[in-house]
Amino acid sequence: MNTGLLSRIAETLFWTGRYVERADDTARMVDVYVHRLLEEPRPDEDADCRALLSVLGIPVAGDAVLDIGATVYQLAYDAKSLSAITGAVLAARSGARSVRDVISSEMWECLNVTGHSLAAQRRSAERLGPHIFLRFIRERAALFFGLADSTMSHDDAWRFLVLGRSLERVDMTARLLLARMPDTPYEVGWPMLLRACGAYESFIRSHGWTGGHGEATEFLILDRLFPRSVLHSLGTAEDCLASLDPEAGRAGMADPARRPIGALRTRLEYSRTDLPADQLAALLGTLQETCLQASQAIAERYFSYTEPVAWASGG
Amino acid sequence: MGERGLTVGWRLLITHRTVVGYHGPARASYNEARMTPVALPGQNVLETRLWTDAQVPVWTYRDYWGTEVSAFDIQAPHEELQITSRATVETSSAAGPDGDPMDWSELTAQTRSGRLLEFLMPTPRTTVGAELAAAARQRVAGLDPRAAAAEIAAWVYQHVTYMPGSTGVQTSAKEAWDQGQGVCQDIAHLTVALLRTVGLPARYVSGYLFPKPDAAPGAEVTGQSHAWVEYWTGEWAACDPTNDSAVGHQHVVVAAGRDYADVPPLKGIYHGAPSRTMEVTVSLTRLA
Amino acid sequence: MADIFDSYQLAAAWDEMFEQPGTPRGPYQGLVAALQPLDPAELRYRADQLARIFTDRGVTFDYAGEERPFPLDLVPRIIDAVEWDLIARGVRQRVLALEAFLADVYGPAQVVDDGVVPWQLLATSRQFHRAAHGITPPNGVRIHIAGIDLIRDEQGKFCVLEDNVRIPSGVSYVLENRLAMTRTFPALFAEQHVRQVDSYPARLLAALRAAAPASRRDPVVVVLTPGVSNAAYFEHTLLARLMGVELVEGRDLLAADNQVFVHTTAGLRPVDVIYRRVDDDFLDPLHFRPESVLGCPGLLNAARAGQVTIANAVGNGVADDKLIYTYVPDLIRYYLAEEPLLGNVETYRLGDPDVLDWALSRLDQLVLKPVDGAGGSGIVIGPHADGQTLERLRGKVASSPRSWIAQRPVALSTSPVLIGERLAPRHIDLRPFAVHDGSDVWVLPGGLTRVALPEGALVVNSSQGGGSKDTWVLAAAGAGPAVGYLPLVPVQRQADSAGIARQAGPGGDQQ
Repeated sequence: MNTGLLSRIAETLFWTGRYVERADDTARMVDVYVHRLLEEPRPDEDADCRALLSVLGIPVAGDAVLDIGATVYQLAYDAKSLSAITGAVLAARSGARSVRDVISSEMWECLNVTGHSLAAQRRSAERLGPHIFLRFIRERAALFFGLADSTMSHDDAWRFLVLGRSLERVDMTARLLLARMPDTPYEVGWPMLLRACGAYESFIRSHGWTGGHGEATEFLILDRLFPRSVLHSLGTAEDCLASLDPEAGRAGMADPARRPIGALRTRLEYSRTDLPADQLAALLGTLQETCLQASQAIAERYFSYTEPVAWASGG
Repeated sequence: MGERGLTVGWRLLITHRTVVGYHGPARASYNEARMTPVALPGQNVLETRLWTDAQVPVWTYRDYWGTEVSAFDIQAPHEELQITSRATVETSSAAGPDGDPMDWSELTAQTRSGRLLEFLMPTPRTTVGAELAAAARQRVAGLDPRAAAAEIAAWVYQHVTYMPGSTGVQTSAKEAWDQGQGVCQDIAHLTVALLRTVGLPARYVSGYLFPKPDAAPGAEVTGQSHAWVEYWTGEWAACDPTNDSAVGHQHVVVAAGRDYADVPPLKGIYHGAPSRTMEVTVSLTRLA
Repeated sequence: MADIFDSYQLAAAWDEMFEQPGTPRGPYQGLVAALQPLDPAELRYRADQLARIFTDRGVTFDYAGEERPFPLDLVPRIIDAVEWDLIARGVRQRVLALEAFLADVYGPAQVVDDGVVPWQLLATSRQFHRAAHGITPPNGVRIHIAGIDLIRDEQGKFCVLEDNVRIPSGVSYVLENRLAMTRTFPALFAEQHVRQVDSYPARLLAALRAAAPASRRDPVVVVLTPGVSNAAYFEHTLLARLMGVELVEGRDLLAADNQVFVHTTAGLRPVDVIYRRVDDDFLDPLHFRPESVLGCPGLLNAARAGQVTIANAVGNGVADDKLIYTYVPDLIRYYLAEEPLLGNVETYRLGDPDVLDWALSRLDQLVLKPVDGAGGSGIVIGPHADGQTLERLRGKVASSPRSWIAQRPVALSTSPVLIGERLAPRHIDLRPFAVHDGSDVWVLPGGLTRVALPEGALVVNSSQGGGSKDTWVLAAAGAGPAVGYLPLVPVQRQADSAGIARQAGPGGDQQ
């Protein structure tokens, strides 16, 4: 019998999955881009930094002139921003703290130690360069999800965690690919693009050195075997939703969360591999739109509980 | 139950209708109504019923003060709530206290230790200043307890004018005295407060009043919720300081407590916009 | 030869470990022998390691908005079997008397009519919840969990300092301290036969299930927490996890038509027993604070209708009021017809004008405690207070004698505590935990020993920056090994086989 999971806990797990994945993806991205900016000083540092921040959805004040230091702070160390690594890790930690009776102790300890270590890691990074901090985040995220896979029952609680991770991954990959669209000022080389997704080595193993932008993009969106590709992540999300709702009807698809994800996954499955640039831009927009829709539908269906709203008394 | 009550009293039908209008949808609304008359010496309850316009069960229990409470919750969004309480009650005419009055020393001995103490301690709504308390004590100096109670009730009646709309539900006894006007709730609170300061246990009574003392059977009037006072001088006795009248066949008791907070006719809590309106109509019919 | 106890100076109080310098008391002989060869720096190192492990694991309590590790002192406190037997029986007796008192107070209040407790005491108690009147718990239990604070006086006698029958906390320290000690100092346990504490969650769950409404075959229990910012949040998660039940917040609950549910991804699921760690005032906004979002409206009426059990019951505070405390010995005689096994600390009620005058004239020789205070706040220890504090106190007590009690200052017993890199005596108390399942009161062997860390301080409380000790109750001589202890030995399939060989990959089979 499916007795269900507390709605509040399901929501917290979903967001814990998203925040850890966000910290991981942001760390990978910052690592690649910031080092490129540091290695090859460019004429317009301000524009480059603005492009990077806007891709990650971080608002930038119009009049400030940005440099790399300020950008790294906003992406990595800002504890108040949920788009920054530190903010995302702390949010994941406090989420895990409120569901620590549902996740395994090792998972909670992993995030707890990560949260407590941020300050020390940042101090080393400020002495030795941001890579130390970013690598630490990547390792801790891998440890966290590894522990989730190996120390937690693969039940509904686990599915919400994985569901959050998968949707965040689709969203982040779409953002990353948008960063190289022609109308953005800073176009990145394809090896960098792949590295920022942790896909470089996998890509080389399957495509050799013959690739280019088109192949790299295709790999990140359509590869069926690479676990960070959009197609793979959508498939994972769909599997989670299917298991959460085993009694789906025989015809059509009633689940408003599964419908957009499944439709997009099917479209990608049969899509051409050499998309022209304009269609690609539209597709990336659809990707982000789908993530948003699915996230809202999931919240409506599974996370409905009494929000703490002030009571009005008297009578 | 005295024979007297059944022969000389009235049979009254009371319909108490409350409409709460919420400004915007309310949901998860939890309510408790204290609107049902209970059987007491001198008050015989023939039939009671309380219902709402929402399709939800109403559950009843007796609270600490002996009041019958009707509790219900409405989960679905709603913009209006209607509650109707209907009761048929036999009242009895006012009866004077029996026997010799108790003297102060015996009364004090009995009230200091026992459960009557609860009705001697001031509450936030029944607090008056030291000056007024001293004046009250001076006013009843030399009187026996029963005469002292009558004196206090008369004094409040003279000093405070009944004036609908002059105060709110949160008004305290002190404010009512200072303003010199108030509604029956304020006048009852003030009387209770002064009775307690001179050493008499007193309680706040909530109920209904049939306004015409000489109505014929079959007469129907629009009445209202009313509040008056009971005090203890060896036994419980009642007075109505708003009208300076005896409490008898025109009065129907619903609840008695330390003050209004123990006996509110309706209290509730809900999710939604904080503002709302409330419309109350009470109709009373003398059946016999 | 120099050892770890060389510089240990006894204070002017009963010392738990030493009868006189160099002479350990009976139960401590094994421990002293085991600790003696250690270097204090080594002890310090282990203590720091332990604090780090606690921080990493989130074994913390919130102090002034900050998560702090449990401050565990590595030197355990030991109670022998005979002494523990008295404590356990005394605690049980006290809980049963308070239980009978609560049933009476929220019912006929015969105790008042019989003149044992004055009505004034109840009528003026802020914890006497008239809204709880007439709620009859399904198995009659209102005190499912109690924590009775004991101290040992200058003569070595245990007496009761205070009762806690609302939401006593600290049992997670007991469980975590033991776990930490067995990991950090396994050698210390080798020579001792220490009674286990890990059956507490099972006992608690059994008591909570036994308290469920009668019609429930397989009752659902939840733990209700105010949330992550509560000082005892770790304890709430630990108990929920060890009992295998859901940890919920007020917003997870819904009461409809006197049934209580939790919101889940599969819809509403009924709840039968709520082990609540939310104060009465915040539990049900319909009856108590209307602005509270920590509880759930409708809870109290659901309990009144017998559809859900709230543990501990609403309104228990009337029984652990510090004024009622002074009547507990009388309550034991009145309800149980027994003499109290554990006495009270000498206490004075200030309601009597003569007693008040007497107390006001010697505030510097008394301990004054606010009747409603919890967690050691507001306590003034006369002999330690300065003139200004005493003057302020005098004003407060004179204007509201009902709000205070006065006690003889007791020099709580001391125990060696690691301070920096040396052992020094610090005052300690003991909070045994009792679980009442309706048929019996079980007392967890051990309980929480709290330490007042500042030198000479007499107020022991985690919210006052106190520490704690693992508390060992020694098994009676001749008792068998602890129940449930099974040594791990390989199963022999055949008499002479050495089990199945491990497999190895290519190149791995040459060894």
